[in-house]
This record gives sequence, C-alpha cells and structure tokens, in this order.
Amino acid sequence: MGRRRAAAAAASDLARLAVRCACVVACVALTAGRARADGAGLSDDAILGPPRAQSAPSLRLASVTSRMTAFEQDGRGYQSQAGPALGPGSERLTVFEPQIDAVLKHGDRFTHRVFVPVDVITAASPDAIDRARRPPDVLSGASRHNEAGTVDWTATYRADRATQTDVSLRNGLHLEEDFRSWHGGLAVSRAFADGATVVSASALEVLDWFDRFDITGHRHGRTSRSSTTGGAGVTQILTPTTIVAASYGVTVQTGELGNTWNSVPLAASARGPEILPPVRVRHAIVGKASQALPWNGALRVHYRFYSDTWGIAAHSAEGMLLQRVAPFLYVGALLRVHRQTGADFYTTFAGIPAARRTADSDLAPLDSRTVGGKVVSDLPLDGPGPRLLHLEIGYERYSRSNDLWMNVLTCATGYVF
Amino acid sequence: MRAWAVVRIAAVCALATAALGCATVAQNRRGRLADPMMRLDDEPLDAYRQQKMYTTREGAAGGDGTTAGGGCGCQ
Repeated sequence: MGRRRAAAAAASDLARLAVRCACVVACVALTAGRARADGAGLSDDAILGPPRAQSAPSLRLASVTSRMTAFEQDGRGYQSQAGPALGPGSERLTVFEPQIDAVLKHGDRFTHRVFVPVDVITAASPDAIDRARRPPDVLSGASRHNEAGTVDWTATYRADRATQTDVSLRNGLHLEEDFRSWHGGLAVSRAFADGATVVSASALEVLDWFDRFDITGHRHGRTSRSSTTGGAGVTQILTPTTIVAASYGVTVQTGELGNTWNSVPLAASARGPEILPPVRVRHAIVGKASQALPWNGALRVHYRFYSDTWGIAAHSAEGMLLQRVAPFLYVGALLRVHRQTGADFYTTFAGIPAARRTADSDLAPLDSRTVGGKVVSDLPLDGPGPRLLHLEIGYERYSRSNDLWMNVLTCATGYVF
Repeated sequence: MRAWAVVRIAAVCALATAALGCATVAQNRRGRLADPMMRLDDEPLDAYRQQKMYTTREGAAGGDGTTAGGGCGCQ
C-alpha cells in the first residue's frame, strides 16, 4: 500500500514537472511569436539575408566547348626570305590550334568566360632567316615549331535585371617564344524597349612586349607596342524574324608595329628591313543582319568597312546560308569576299633611301575569297547532367589574289548544362 | 579627313538602326530569334579562329573590338 502511494506520488510529481515544462515551452513560443509580430515589417530574407539557393549552386558550369582547327597554308610573299634573293619567298605554314572555352555562372548576377586558345605553328618564313649562318637567337630556331598560348577571362556582372545592364571586365595574357602580351578591357551594355534594342560600348588595351631582331635573325633587345581600342554598337530586333546590328570602333597603335624580321628587296640586289610609321590609327564600321527564312533556314550577312592612316581601305562582305535539316541538325554554307587597297609605302622593290617601306604581302593591294561549309548538331540529352551536346565540323578554303591559299578544317565538341 | 567620313557614316548607320527600332517586337513573338542559326555572331571559339585567320593575312584588323596586336608577330 505504501509502495503504491509512493509510486502515485512520484507519477504525480512527474506529471507536474511535465506540465511545468509544457508551460515554459508555451511561454517561450508565445514570446517568440510576439517578437516576430513586433518585427512584421521585416522579411526573413531581410533578417537572415537571402537564402543560398539549394537547387542551384553558387558557382556552376554553364557550358564547356573545345575546338580543334588545322590550317595548311602555302603561298609566296616578298617579305619572306625563304626563296630567291629578291623574292618572293615561301609563306608555307602549318598551324594546329586547340581551344577550350568554359562559361561559369556565379549566383544569378555573375557570368565568367574563360577562354584558352593554343597555337602550334611551323613557319617557312622565319626559318629561312638562318640560311647563311646559324643565329644565336631564340626565335629563328624556335619558330620551326612555335607554341603560343592565351588565357582570356571575361567577368560579366548583371548590374540591373530590369534593363539588362551588364558590365564586363576582360583580362588576358598571351605567351609565345619571344613574345609577351597582356590585354585588359571594360564593356558596358544596356537593353531598351523590352530587350529589343541593346546598346553597348567597350574599351580594350593591348600591350605587346617582344624581342627585336634584324633580318638575319640576330636579337637586339626588347621592343613593345600598344593598341588601344574603343567602340560602340547597337543591336536591334526589327521584326520577329529579323535582327540587325551596327558598330563602330577605332584603334590607335603606337610603338614597333612590325614583327622586326620582315625584309624588303632593295635595288642593290640585297634586302633591308621594313621601315614602318610608329603610329597607326584604324577605323572600322560593321553591319550585321540575320534573317529567318520561311523554309526553316536563316541567312546571315556581315559587312565591314575599314580605313587606316597607312592608306589601307578595305571592304569585307560575308554571307552564310543556314538550313535546318532535322530538329537537332543544321548545315551552313559560307562565302566571304574581301578587297583592300595597299599601304601607301608598300613595294616589292624599294629604293635604299625610302623613308617608309614594306613588302609584307598582308599590306599589299589584294582580293581574297573564302568558301566553306559546316554541319552543326545540338543533341538534347536526358538525365541530371548536361542537357545539350554540341557537335560541329567545318571546312573552309581561303585564297588571296597575291599568291596565297589555305585549307582550314575545324571541329568542335561542347556540353551545355 | 577620311576618319571624319568614317565617323559620319557610322553615325548615319547608328541613327538609321535606331530609327528602325521604333516599333518594338513583343517578347512572345521572338521565338524564331532564339534559334542558334539566327545568332548574329559565331560561337566564340569559331569567331576567334576566324578573326585570327583574317587579321594575320589581311591588313585590315582592328577598330571593331578585335585586338589588332599580340601573338605570332602580327601587326
């Protein structure tokens, strides 16, 4: 009996303790509820900060693409010493160019594009410099098999979602055998009219720092040049099937504007170095249009007018006809024509006292034509990984009126996440 | 003088383009423009490849955002 009373008393104590605990918890909850009610003007986000999205990580890969291109070039130019004494010499060249491009999203405002092209080059023209004697420099030997690489990083910040105002910062570095180059730039774009019009402006500075050679391949210290570019453009949706763009840009270059080993045939059966002006101002106007065609195709046209203070004026026009042959596959055909006047001081046979002279075939009056085609596939993928597989293969044939031609084969593979 | 002519042509082109944009195309009518075939510019790697190919073989590089310098001893 006594045990039963003792057990009942203990149970009663436990029950009271439980009731007290429940009361305390209820009081705390009520107090918390009042505190929340007192701060009703503030949202959870305002107190705790915006929630970190659990479904979308803060830094994620949006796409990655790789491309491999092979260039096979042959031709002759008077700046090259790989031939007769008074030229023209060979411009034979083989280039393998692997590239990779990755786009990363950081939160909902930052986009990063990291771009790494690499060039592996063999060149006849600089190789020929050491015919007479083996030069002590790095270039003539290295250029038989020259590797060059670039890292280019563009970070874009979406400053205003309503007006789609973007600010981009671009930086990059180029490394080559004897050549160092750095570039940095800033770009701003803003949309108007519900995104139908986009206006943009950009500035870019390129600093090149490289070895100075004479035309026999001997090194004479370092030299540099600067290229400053400013530009502005507008893109406009004209109709549900037409989009156009126009832009203007100017580039001011100062410093050593040649590669320092180009040569010029002289009257005395010898060769001398190029003599170029130390400043070059370049202007370009570009117009582009893309028109959807009723038979599930598209036509893209591109025109560029160029003019500079060295006397070169150029017109380039390009058209690409694209046709979708399946929901995941389209083909394209390309035609590009280019015509330029030569530099005022271009010559293939210079007098020794000439103040300015060049025999560079790139600066000659010339016409060029590119024809090509490509096949592109964007395959949708199932599952949690990438949602699209991009495959592309293309071929182009480039020919120039002053004895130069090139075959280009390119293929790309990419994933879109 | 030639530079001023270029600037004038650029200004006229910009004004003409802006004037054409007075009628806005509604967003729900822009579906066709989202097709990759309708892109004004090539895919970035392809654009870089083409740009480098032309700037190193023609004397008309630069002025439109291209680097016009750097690499392979090009001007």
